[in-house]
Amino acid sequence: MAEKKRKQRAKELAKEFGYLPYMTERYLALWGEEETLSFLEACEIAPKTAIRINSLKMPIEQTVRRMKRKGIALKRVPWLEEGFTADFGDRTPGSLFEHLFGHYYVQGVPSMTVVKALDPQKGEVVMDLASAPGGKTTHISQLMENTGTVFSIELDRLRMRSLVNNIQRCGVTNAIALRGDARKLDGLGVAPDRILLDAPCSGEGLIPLDPARKRSKTMADIRYCATRQDELLDSVIKTLAPGGVLVYSTCSIAPEENEYVIDSILGKHPEMKIIQIDQEFGVPGYTQPYGVSLDVSLSQSRRFLPHIHGLEGFFICKMRKEGDR
Amino acid sequence: MSLEIVSQLDWQMVTEVVDQEFGEGVTKTLRGRLMPVSKKSKKGISYYLVSSDWMRFLQNKFTDFEPAHLGRRFGDIVEGRFRFSLSMLDELKDVTPNHLVVSGKGAEAFTYGRSILKESVVEVAPGLSREQRVVVLNKHGDCLGLASLTVDSERIGRLGPDRLVAKNLADIGWYIRNE
Ligand SMILES: C[S@@+](CC[C@H](N)C(=O)[O-])C[C@H]1O[C@@H](n2cnc3c(N)ncnc32)[C@H](O)[C@@H]1O
Repeated sequence: MAEKKRKQRAKELAKEFGYLPYMTERYLALWGEEETLSFLEACEIAPKTAIRINSLKMPIEQTVRRMKRKGIALKRVPWLEEGFTADFGDRTPGSLFEHLFGHYYVQGVPSMTVVKALDPQKGEVVMDLASAPGGKTTHISQLMENTGTVFSIELDRLRMRSLVNNIQRCGVTNAIALRGDARKLDGLGVAPDRILLDAPCSGEGLIPLDPARKRSKTMADIRYCATRQDELLDSVIKTLAPGGVLVYSTCSIAPEENEYVIDSILGKHPEMKIIQIDQEFGVPGYTQPYGVSLDVSLSQSRRFLPHIHGLEGFFICKMRKEGDR
Repeated sequence: MSLEIVSQLDWQMVTEVVDQEFGEGVTKTLRGRLMPVSKKSKKGISYYLVSSDWMRFLQNKFTDFEPAHLGRRFGDIVEGRFRFSLSMLDELKDVTPNHLVVSGKGAEAFTYGRSILKESVVEVAPGLSREQRVVVLNKHGDCLGLASLTVDSERIGRLGPDRLVAKNLADIGWYIRNE
């Protein structure tokens, strides 16, 4: 589509669906007319509620039985033993006693998938950065069966409170929760086996859950996020043990916060290589977004997209640092 | 807000307070092979139990970071009194006989922060006196929180349905009220 024509079409779509025009213009450049339309339409539908059953408190099957008895319809996510979509009927997902007991955590399917991709092992030292309110920290501890150590690092004082609450509610006992800036990891003197950076982002993948996001962020916000993501990754890569694994994720569909950021990191840090994620889900990351050629190994990263998967948009990239552990 | 390994003397003090309320040897059982660590704040002292393997991390003092939680939170001393953390109650219930079981309706009210009335009591451990702290459970044995009896347990049977029986000290509804 010629630029002028695209701008015009972007304006029309922005008006029709209630977006800022710079957004629809990017979608048209990225996907073309047909896919953009299907994305915009999919974003009008909220994804199903999902929960992760917390085996630290009770065996999964037991909680499933208990919830079914209470009339909650559960359906397992194919690639996640502990993940279920859930129909709570007219009840809110947080209102059951089982939630207070820590038997489950209300969490989107892509968020659970991130931790599955990280694949933390028993006894390891793992860091979860930008960690509040703790959906991923508590999941990491679950997969490690409360062994080893999980450093859970968050900057925001208020969000820290939710993190600590969730750690305690879910029966996590292998976590050290620290408040501070994940760009300053040097002083900790820890070289983790695995790091998860679920980076602060513009949230452009969350439009199906939060329609206000259609108009709340500018291109400058996206650029600001990308700069911070780059700084966080620099800090992470320095800290990660040789041979260690890094998973980078965002709840944004913007290539500017995902493939572009990783492409620049691969350029700066030849010791980092993208590796395959074992689970089958999503679609490959983009190697030519907006016609810009990026590192071809980005096709091993994965994306969740509202119009393809009926879920919130997410980006997940798994990397390994050169060297022996 | 610095972290400190708790001295033997300080831990002895915690042990005495806890054991006196919940039974001889309770602290030792709950602690197992873990190492007690304390954190002072404006509100009081919080105690955590951590693996002794974490000495290597603690020695580094977490430069540039402020510890908010580590291992399992054991409890706090606030205004001179020890109080168990909510997350220890699951284990505490297995090592102390001081239980108070409440009805479904009572469980709802209690986890909204209310105290316990006679009509909600399904069962209470015998021989407990007023001010005794008890673990509050529902009929399935799930832990709901901690309460302090306002009457001797032997007298509860004689009270009218709307009489206060136990004061809410902490309940799991706090996890979401405090978000
Ligand atoms: C996408 S949210 C994380 C969600 C979390 N991983 C979970 O699964 O529950 C991003 C978080 O990053 C935090 N954050 C932003 N900048 C940070 C920094 N420099 N260091 C640590 N945390 C930061 C924000 O306060 C926010 O809580």
